[in-house]
Amino acid sequence: MMGRSLSLFALSVLASFFLFTPEMVSAEEKVTIGTVEDVILLPWRVKLPARIDTGAAKSSLDARELTVHEDRVEFKLPRKYGGLKLRLPIIEWRHVRTPEGLERRPIVELEMCLGSKRIRTLVNLADRSMVKYPLILGRNFLKEDFVVDVKRRRTAKPNCPDIP
Amino acid sequence: MKMVSKHNRSQKSSASLSVGLMFLLVLIIPLLPVGEASAGEKMTIGEVEEVVLMPWGVRVSARIDTGAATSSLDARELTVKNNIAEFKLPKKYGSLQLRLPVKEWQKIRSADFKEQRPVVEITFCMGPKLIHTHVTLNDRSAVRYPLIIGRNVLKDNFVVDCMHSNCLPPSCPEVPSR
Repeated sequence: MMGRSLSLFALSVLASFFLFTPEMVSAEEKVTIGTVEDVILLPWRVKLPARIDTGAAKSSLDARELTVHEDRVEFKLPRKYGGLKLRLPIIEWRHVRTPEGLERRPIVELEMCLGSKRIRTLVNLADRSMVKYPLILGRNFLKEDFVVDVKRRRTAKPNCPDIP
Repeated sequence: MKMVSKHNRSQKSSASLSVGLMFLLVLIIPLLPVGEASAGEKMTIGEVEEVVLMPWGVRVSARIDTGAATSSLDARELTVKNNIAEFKLPKKYGSLQLRLPVKEWQKIRSADFKEQRPVVEITFCMGPKLIHTHVTLNDRSAVRYPLIIGRNVLKDNFVVDCMHSNCLPPSCPEVPSR
């Protein structure tokens, strides 16, 4: 009798545990990511490796053959990642501080999946052929949802619910 | 007969107790924050943290930069003679003059020219940790923070949360109180 009530008690404790944790986790827990993570650009489902860079205020994407047509920008992703041609509305122009000085760059909005998170974010476009990673994710992207542990690398595989 | 049934009952209840406990354990074990335990040992820092350069006790703000492989320090009026680097910290930080042995040279590939920068060893206190590390010396007058802390320092002790800054004040016993 006592055993049964004990196990019932345990069960109810558990049930409440289950009922309450999921919200708490999603509200407070950030996803820990490493120095390099694969992300998927949506809706095109192009997979790109991204450098996770807390030293960069804003994210930026390697855009080749970039041309501006009024309020739109046209560019290609690097050939290594399929060379997909994209046309996107320019959200704004921003001066970006680079090692070579100030540079004026177009900013577009992109949707991407990193780990289990699907995120819309602003990225500036620049020819980054000199640089190893086609996408730099800066503090504007990281601050809400992610914590960076540089000991890790590619530990948050893209797995957003509605992307196969 | 009576004894047996009593025995049976207690056996039954202890069985259901242990089943309940087993159930509890099986359900709770996967919930235990296994990943967190290792992250828990690492301290969370923000995008900018105050550190104290030792043994001089100079406080500087450091940019926490996961995009930088190594750390670097803003060195003004830098000269190297007989493998000793001599430089000043920025005025804002008291223009402290330092003389430190060059441990190695770092090759920098910029867009169109090659450069070599001296690397020295420094000690600073970040949070409760006294850290000895190599830093590249470089005139960084264009940049806001005199010290960039890169992955070489971050990897063993810290995780970075860009939502915060100055969340782990220096607390090494070696640091003089303010």
